[in-house]
Amino acid sequence: MLEANRHPNIEILSYAEIVEVDGYIGNFRAKVKKNSRFVSETKCTGCGACTEVCPIFIPNYFDEGLSARKCIDIAFAQAVPAIYDINRETCVECFACVDSCEEDAIDFSIQDEYVDLEIGTIIVATGWDLYEGPDYGYGTYDNVINQIQLERILAPNGPTYGHLKRPSDGKRPTKILFINCVGSRDVKKNAWCSVICCNLSLKNSKLIKSEYPDSEIVCTYIDMRCAGKDYEEYYRRSREAGTVFLKGLVGDIQEDPLTKNLTVQFEPVGTDTVVTMEVHMVILSSASLPSKGTVEIARVINMEKSSDGFLKEYHARLDPISTKTMGIYIAGSAQGQKEIDKAVSQARGAASAASIPMGRGKHTMELIRATPIDERCAKCYMCIEICPYNAISVNETGHLEVDIIKCRGCGSCAAICPSMAIELTYFRDDQYMALLDELLPMEE
Amino acid sequence: MAGTIRAQYPISIRVVLVPCSGRIGADMVMRSFGRGADGVMIIG
Repeated sequence: MLEANRHPNIEILSYAEIVEVDGYIGNFRAKVKKNSRFVSETKCTGCGACTEVCPIFIPNYFDEGLSARKCIDIAFAQAVPAIYDINRETCVECFACVDSCEEDAIDFSIQDEYVDLEIGTIIVATGWDLYEGPDYGYGTYDNVINQIQLERILAPNGPTYGHLKRPSDGKRPTKILFINCVGSRDVKKNAWCSVICCNLSLKNSKLIKSEYPDSEIVCTYIDMRCAGKDYEEYYRRSREAGTVFLKGLVGDIQEDPLTKNLTVQFEPVGTDTVVTMEVHMVILSSASLPSKGTVEIARVINMEKSSDGFLKEYHARLDPISTKTMGIYIAGSAQGQKEIDKAVSQARGAASAASIPMGRGKHTMELIRATPIDERCAKCYMCIEICPYNAISVNETGHLEVDIIKCRGCGSCAAICPSMAIELTYFRDDQYMALLDELLPMEE
Repeated sequence: MAGTIRAQYPISIRVVLVPCSGRIGADMVMRSFGRGADGVMIIG
């Protein structure tokens, strides 16, 4: 990330969001809102003197709420650029930070800034969010956490410096249950398989086992989906390390109000018995959802979404990188959850795809386009509604106008127009009628 | 497609190319039936 920030041809606009995109391939115009950190990006050296004196503690988003950060703080230690930001909603404006800053970088009068960009191609890689439903007591029971929270606990730079401690009392849990498929593969919640969670259980359970060999770890699953290079071998090594994998769905979890341990009811598939387990901590392998950023950018750029809410690729098998709009490409989890190596491959593919028209310097396309016939138009505007590319609009004189770049010549408008007021060049109605008359001759 | 795989098909099958099945309107289908076609297949 540091190298990317230093590269002369790369400009990172952080703490910012895209509010408007217009135009077409080679000539996009984007408006970016740079949110104010109330800290000058040019003056802040990332020294942290302000954080020391700030009196306000707030939940740390990066540690999934398991630790605190100050009101003025850096997003996380390795943030690029290393600039501190102020959470204005919680700031009490004591200005202790302003006094402490030797570079005079803190300025409460800095406003949000809008930047206009002229760009040729766009790659959307806005990632995923974790499902946080109330399943199995999540959000209610202290010791029911999700995989991302576990990752932060096990991380050496996390809230517990990598020591396995459970949220309720900070003691090390020795009996741990992993539940796979939480919120996934369920038509009432999220119908799809979230791809990464089975392997995430393998990784984290193996990590815990290697650090704390006396741990008793159980992992319940519907199917163990360890497809792909090396994952099946990892599953075997995980079982050899001593983690017990049981097939079946967990029924009910109750919390002991004194010990905060969890009593789990579980029926292993193929048996007629209900097993009751008491564990110290439950880890939920929760579903992967399209991120909030993905939902927002799809609205701003008017991108299609699949039925599961992830960004829609141009072709699910032959082109999972392009989108219906020429010049806009997608990569990573935003297109659908995938493992790291697949995301990297797709990202490189998107970069190549974007560089082709930019390298050529021009873009060639067939000009089979919709042409409106003004005299016949009854202004019902059904064509505008049905156009999948938003290529038709109404100009100042009230007549239809077709954007010949956005139009892809699909013909939906010509087919739906009840007045035959819009037609496709080279595929006009009278041409088709003449063709049909010739193909099906009738004796007069 | 039948042509590209060199399969033979009878001359009673007439082919009309459209850029996209969305281009096909009811008037085209009805005109075909009206002019004696026994069936209309929309493919693609």
